[in-house]
Amino acid sequence: MSTKEERGRIELLQGTLDLLILRTLLLGPAHGHAICKTIERGSDDVLQVEQGSLYPALHRLIKRGWITFDEGTSENNRRAKYYRLTAKGRKQLELETSKWDKLARAIARILRPV
Amino acid sequence: MKKHKSLEHLDQDIRDHIERETEDNIARGMAPEEAGRAARLKFGNVTLVKEDTRRVWNPVWVEQLLQDLRYCARTLRRSPAFTVVVTLTLAVAIGMNTAAFSIVNAVLLKPLTYSNPDRWVWVANYNRQFRNELVSGPDFFDWRAQAQSFEGLAGYDYLDSTVATADGATQERIAEVSNEFWQLSGAQTTAGRLLRDNDQDSLLLTARFFERRFGSDPRVIGSTVTLEGRPVTIVGVLAPGFRFLLPMQQSFNDRREIEAYTPLDITPETEVRGGPTAVIHLAGKLKPGVAPGQARAEIETIQARIAKAHPEVFYGDFQVRVDPLQEKLVGSSRPALMVLSAAAALVLLIACANVISLLLARASARRREVAIRAAAGAGKGRVFRQFFAEGMLLAAVGGVAGLLVAYGATAIILRLSPNAVPRIGEVVMDGRVLAFTAAVSIGVALFFGFTPAMSLWKTNLHSTLKDGARTFSASSASLRFRGLLVAGELALAVVLLVGAGLLVKSFRVMNAHPPGFAPERVLVMTVVLSGPAYAGRSAQEAYMTEVLRRIESVPGVEAAGISNQFMRGVAGVEGIPAPSRGQPPQIVTFSMASAAYGKAIGMQLIKGRWTTDGESTPVLVINRSFADRLFNSENPLGRRIRVPGALGDEERYATVVGIVDDLKYSKLDAEPQPEVLVPYKQSPFLSGANVTVRVAGDPLVLAPALRKLISDIDKTQPVYDVKTLDEALADSIAPRRFNLYLIGTLAAVALLLAVIGVYGVIAYSVAQRTHEIGVRMALGATRPEVIGMVVRQGLGMALTGIVAGLAGAFALTRMMDSLLYQVKPTDPQTFVAVAMVLALTAVIATWGPALRAALVDPIIALRCE
Repeated sequence: MSTKEERGRIELLQGTLDLLILRTLLLGPAHGHAICKTIERGSDDVLQVEQGSLYPALHRLIKRGWITFDEGTSENNRRAKYYRLTAKGRKQLELETSKWDKLARAIARILRPV
Repeated sequence: MKKHKSLEHLDQDIRDHIERETEDNIARGMAPEEAGRAARLKFGNVTLVKEDTRRVWNPVWVEQLLQDLRYCARTLRRSPAFTVVVTLTLAVAIGMNTAAFSIVNAVLLKPLTYSNPDRWVWVANYNRQFRNELVSGPDFFDWRAQAQSFEGLAGYDYLDSTVATADGATQERIAEVSNEFWQLSGAQTTAGRLLRDNDQDSLLLTARFFERRFGSDPRVIGSTVTLEGRPVTIVGVLAPGFRFLLPMQQSFNDRREIEAYTPLDITPETEVRGGPTAVIHLAGKLKPGVAPGQARAEIETIQARIAKAHPEVFYGDFQVRVDPLQEKLVGSSRPALMVLSAAAALVLLIACANVISLLLARASARRREVAIRAAAGAGKGRVFRQFFAEGMLLAAVGGVAGLLVAYGATAIILRLSPNAVPRIGEVVMDGRVLAFTAAVSIGVALFFGFTPAMSLWKTNLHSTLKDGARTFSASSASLRFRGLLVAGELALAVVLLVGAGLLVKSFRVMNAHPPGFAPERVLVMTVVLSGPAYAGRSAQEAYMTEVLRRIESVPGVEAAGISNQFMRGVAGVEGIPAPSRGQPPQIVTFSMASAAYGKAIGMQLIKGRWTTDGESTPVLVINRSFADRLFNSENPLGRRIRVPGALGDEERYATVVGIVDDLKYSKLDAEPQPEVLVPYKQSPFLSGANVTVRVAGDPLVLAPALRKLISDIDKTQPVYDVKTLDEALADSIAPRRFNLYLIGTLAAVALLLAVIGVYGVIAYSVAQRTHEIGVRMALGATRPEVIGMVVRQGLGMALTGIVAGLAGAFALTRMMDSLLYQVKPTDPQTFVAVAMVLALTAVIATWGPALRAALVDPIIALRCE
């Protein structure tokens, strides 16, 4: 699977994709492909979104009520779903972010004790 | 199936995504074709992504289950014979279990429909001497006043009374209840009011009676009708659901329902110890938290005080009983209903065995299909789920059809035996019955899915594919298992048939009539005299004489008589000392009878002579039991016996002039009791009589004319219960008949299912062995040898089952001892007969397949290869 080009990229941990999608949508509504690109660019192409898991993840978030979508027409007249954050999703994002911070700090402390 | 809105355009979204990726790739400098390929590669398996996405919304098992069910429905439609046989088998078996449970539910499980049913008790003073359970009026009032255990105590009695309106007179069963009953039971009226204190000469109608007799005309409330010759005012109509749930004595074996209520008109003033007192029944409601045992202890204390205060009244032979009302009312029906439920459960087992046997046959026929599915990528789990889906579908259809069967069956049962079991009128398909059916169906479904799945678990599916059409080794193992199943079925059928056989034999014993007793040619009816016109003895005697005169003059009447059991009491024979204290005295029945009564009913004189209608001195006839128990070997003729009189009469003695043979003329399952027959003109009581008419032809043809003839004497006096003696006797054992019909039906179904099972397995085995049979015949086996081989196979299976079944029956039939009459639960005759019947049916069931085997053409069978 992995080609030379992909070396140095990290596959996402289970569950972190949800967090990243929420964070991406905080910037404004986006369609699926744009979400992927934003995550990959935003991480300087270090994080690679397993595209096969993007759509199930989006639908999982819709089911939980954290995001919703609008039917829209994109630049070159293509129909596309624009996903956006709900109020509930915004709260969830804060919660998840603080949880992530705690986790990251805790792991960092263990890996690099001062 | 409804798709979630979010799933719309998922295809388009994905396509869009890939296109954007492609554009990005082109922008990065790839060739268009290369760019699209890379984009698709990066996206991965589109179908899988779609499936994963859908899975977010629909748990996958639901989707697969629906798929499986659809697939099953298709395959079942393709084999209609299999589907119909299985559905019918299950419908009958589940239906019978549901019907049995709905009866158990109505009679035993559902609480009584009075308020606080668990606190209701039945209270009695059991008389060890007369073996009856009654309470005297003064005791009732003392208990009611002193006992602290009860929220209330209600006295009651019931009588068949004449209700006369402008339309004529009928005989109805009326309950007299003390007013506590209405508050305690929480009864409601739909019109008018309940009975209340100081109500006298009031009548409260049941909804049924209001409809039947008064056409539900509300104007009758407040109007007056005549009850036993006295005017009473109708005060109200009870709600339709209200039932009389207080126990009635066994002697009222016709179990007619209460039609109306009057107040129990006894008061502490009228009930004086030592004087004439009322004898009533008692029911009450305990205070919360009081156990029946505590209440009994309290009444015993009160009773001991009464006995001390009234040494002149003899209380030695009494024993206080306080029993939960529901138990008293239906407890005696429990053994029969348990046996019925067990029998129904056995039928269900047999049906399941049959269906499983069919499913196994089907499973082995479908091995290739399963192997192909497995090869095409279906996991083992998915394949087995397919079998469970099939089991579920069959059980669900069977369960629904079973409910219909149960509905029909209970309707028929209620029609045939409306009063065989107390509370049976309350049978309904309520939530509990539906839950029961659902539980049985689910159990059956799991069972059905599991067994064929197991049969395939061990087989190597891939070898099946390689193996060509026939796979002898594996299917012969499955055939052996099916043989065992069928043997088990036969064993269960044997148990049921032995049970039914024992009931049939009991029935035959009960109905074994002595020669000369032809109940089908005898008509019986009842006349009761009421009202002031018949208060006097001479009017009563004149009426009875007129009845006899009129009937005897009718052509076709061979003999006619009147009779009536007017009292039970201690036997007193001149010259035989009364039994010493502590010894039980002989209780005998005193009856009056006209001269031709014996001839009319078919009693045989064994010694002496019959009495005539014009005796100048007091005489009587005794029956064989009386002679045997009181005179031993002495000659009773010429001896004198005390005849109890009406209250206040002096004791009288009458001389024995004849002895008749015992005859079960009123209750078929009762032992003959000592009885004396007094000429009717010498009887102290003559206000009612059973008219017995022996006719030359069909008694029911003459019945309307005879009835009219009697009621024409005086239209205000009802003639009722007109039926043949045969019917009357059959009614006397209605609960037993009920058991016999139900268990007999279950046994017949079991036999039928077992025959189908044997046939199915043998037929299948013959079909599987066509090739082998062909080889045998080619090698010189004759047709009779082939037939013998097949029949032997079936018989071997049958004998295993029969032997196991007989052993099972031997262990189980003692459960039904109380349902039998003069037949031992291990009656060898019945066991042997059942074994023979089953062996014979097994041979018959194998005969068809055996003949088919014999007709196998070896050339064709071998060419089949």
